Amino acid sequence: MKGNIQKRIVKDKQMYLLLFPVILFFIIWHYIPMWGARIAFQDVMYIGANKWAGLRHFKMLFSSPVFLKVFMNTIIISSMKMFLIFPLPIILAFMLNEVTSHGFRKSVQSVIYLPHFLSWVVIAGLFISLLASPDGAVNKVRIFFHIKPIAYMTSTSHIRWVFVFSEIWRSIGWDSILYIAAINSIAPALYEAATIDGATPFQQAMNITFPAIVPTIVTVFILNLGFFMNAGFDQVFNMMNDAVINHVDIIDTYVYRVGLKQGNYSLGTAAGLFKGIIGLFLILSTDKLSRKISGEGVW
Amino acid sequence: MKRFLITLLMMTILVSLVFVGCKKKEEAPALSTEVPTIRIVGKDFSPTDDINLQFLEKVAAGFEVYSGQKVNLELVQVPDGGYQEKLNLMLMGGDIPDMIYFQGGDEAVSKQGLLVDLKSYVDNSKVMQNVLQDFNKQRIANYPYLLWIAPPRARIALVREDWFAEAGGKVPVTVDDYYNFFKTIKNNHPDAFVMTDTGNTTRMDFTFDHAFGETATWVKQGGSYVYKKVSDAEKAKLAFYQKLYAEGLFDKDYVTTKWDTMEDKLYNNKVAMAFGTSGVVCDIYDTKLQTNQNVGLVALPPAKGVGQGYSVSTAKETRGWAISATSMNPDLVFQLLEFMATDEGQLLDRYGVEGVHYTVDNGKYTATDKKSEWWPRINEVMTYDGPMPLLGVLGLKSWDFLGEYVVGDPDFPIPADMAPTWDALTNLYKEYNFKIIAGEYSIDKFDEFVKEWYDLGGDKITEYAQGQLK
Repeated sequence: MKGNIQKRIVKDKQMYLLLFPVILFFIIWHYIPMWGARIAFQDVMYIGANKWAGLRHFKMLFSSPVFLKVFMNTIIISSMKMFLIFPLPIILAFMLNEVTSHGFRKSVQSVIYLPHFLSWVVIAGLFISLLASPDGAVNKVRIFFHIKPIAYMTSTSHIRWVFVFSEIWRSIGWDSILYIAAINSIAPALYEAATIDGATPFQQAMNITFPAIVPTIVTVFILNLGFFMNAGFDQVFNMMNDAVINHVDIIDTYVYRVGLKQGNYSLGTAAGLFKGIIGLFLILSTDKLSRKISGEGVW
Repeated sequence: MKRFLITLLMMTILVSLVFVGCKKKEEAPALSTEVPTIRIVGKDFSPTDDINLQFLEKVAAGFEVYSGQKVNLELVQVPDGGYQEKLNLMLMGGDIPDMIYFQGGDEAVSKQGLLVDLKSYVDNSKVMQNVLQDFNKQRIANYPYLLWIAPPRARIALVREDWFAEAGGKVPVTVDDYYNFFKTIKNNHPDAFVMTDTGNTTRMDFTFDHAFGETATWVKQGGSYVYKKVSDAEKAKLAFYQKLYAEGLFDKDYVTTKWDTMEDKLYNNKVAMAFGTSGVVCDIYDTKLQTNQNVGLVALPPAKGVGQGYSVSTAKETRGWAISATSMNPDLVFQLLEFMATDEGQLLDRYGVEGVHYTVDNGKYTATDKKSEWWPRINEVMTYDGPMPLLGVLGLKSWDFLGEYVVGDPDFPIPADMAPTWDALTNLYKEYNFKIIAGEYSIDKFDEFVKEWYDLGGDKITEYAQGQLK
């Protein structure tokens, strides 16, 4: 077994060398900091050794009068983003795959990738302006058609949809890259054979393209579940306001306010650990479920 | 093999790039052991800005004349990002400068004994006793870890002088006067709002709180202390704001307005009024409006009703300078803070660097174009009278208002174990506040809010307040 691994490494040495910085990145920024998670069980001391606090910070987190509300907001916003947004990059990749003009496809791709590079500060400013009532562009259109304007940014029934829509606008193009790459790796001979057999483009998409990218879809979905509790700090922080705070306050914004801003790092770490454990549980359970159902897992 | 070597070379370059930022800083040349070094960390006070280094050189020279003591002043760079969070992370990482500027987050640090108790220093300092105002002294008595010599940060109502003149040019006094004044402006300029705020009503509260009876954070109601935001006075104030909102006098988008858009609305005729921090900020608004439209601003006093004034909390400084308990030279650091509060120190701190921000010719001081880029790095003594004006007419007027209307507010800090509850109560207030003002809820809902506020943990904090405010 050991010799087998060594043989594989020697055989694919270039690949492993390329992988090396990535591994290094994860060790430095994701594995070593795990040791710091112990401060969730300690009182951080600026001078001298930290003091053991047991589960006090977790109790403080869970006993907050708003924790349940904040937790539910996180679940709701994450679920909306996860289940409504997840299929869209796949559909977009399919659509782009059907575009025959190479130049047009490239230019569309370039345009839809752009929002990914904008910070949430800019995007929030953009959406606040667009959706302002009654002077925003969207409400001006509504008024033009004699439809009552809506204060989207301050409406508790609309603000979460603003999050979903702005997330779609920002991420759909970038997230489709993986699927476009997976589609591009499908052997053209399969499509040629299907065309000769008289398959329509839709039939080709459903019987060749889709089955071919299922492993990618499953992998991305399971990995995304690991970030389920990350409802999007930057987005929520920049778009929230007093009118909707109780409907959009998520664990991350709560921890930022009550934990980090007041130097209570243990509370922040306890919340991070709690989120991490839920993420790990979701990844492992979905991976197991996926293996049972489709035989495909993450690893 | 060749491909392998090329790949290896590329990997080496990549890894080197990863670690290049981790290279240990070059050791600074050894300093003379007789000259102590004071390490200073402050917000927007970066060692990468040459002007800050030039300023510190002048400060060190001035301090030597003042105290007879040579000193090296070294600025410490805070990592990029929110100052408060990055500073605390820096301190937690063991890098603890001698003189630290806090803008929040200091309580967690002081609780662990990391900050020097400044009370005896302040009590024994003639300079400090002269320059500190009563509310500063009360704050030091309540929380002796932060020292902040600056005017109180009241927000002053500022109205365009042309629209003010059109509306009769008479300064409103009572709440009714204000209301009628707002109505007249609205009639003259139906497309504009009279005023706006930034996300909440904190700025305009400075003008109206006292008039409705919110004369302190905790007000007496029915024989005991009640948090002002659940008081009868708040209910009356919210009803007034609701009326302003409904009649188009108050900006419909105030809740999504940030401070920069608030300014834009003032400069672009979308609002008649804004609320600016007393002092130089008022001058900045005035100058910008003058530049854009050749129109100035008029400062308006707080409305008169049950009371008239601007509350200034005496609980503790919310920002300011602290001395690290790990400092080898705490006395020297305090002496430096003291020097910066003297006329000599203020000359440096208020005017900037000679030759850059101002010039002196035959004893005559002249500001350069760069003067507007300078702000006091350490202290801003309100009573300091320098060789050339530091404030414009509007800024001075706003300071006059402070002298006339500032009222001490015997507030107290909320203990850390009550912070999550306080956060929940604040959020509850925010939501009701907006919904009542925007008319989504009738003012009768205020009673429901009060009940919910107490049930959510407000009762415990109110009980705590009774003990604190005896």
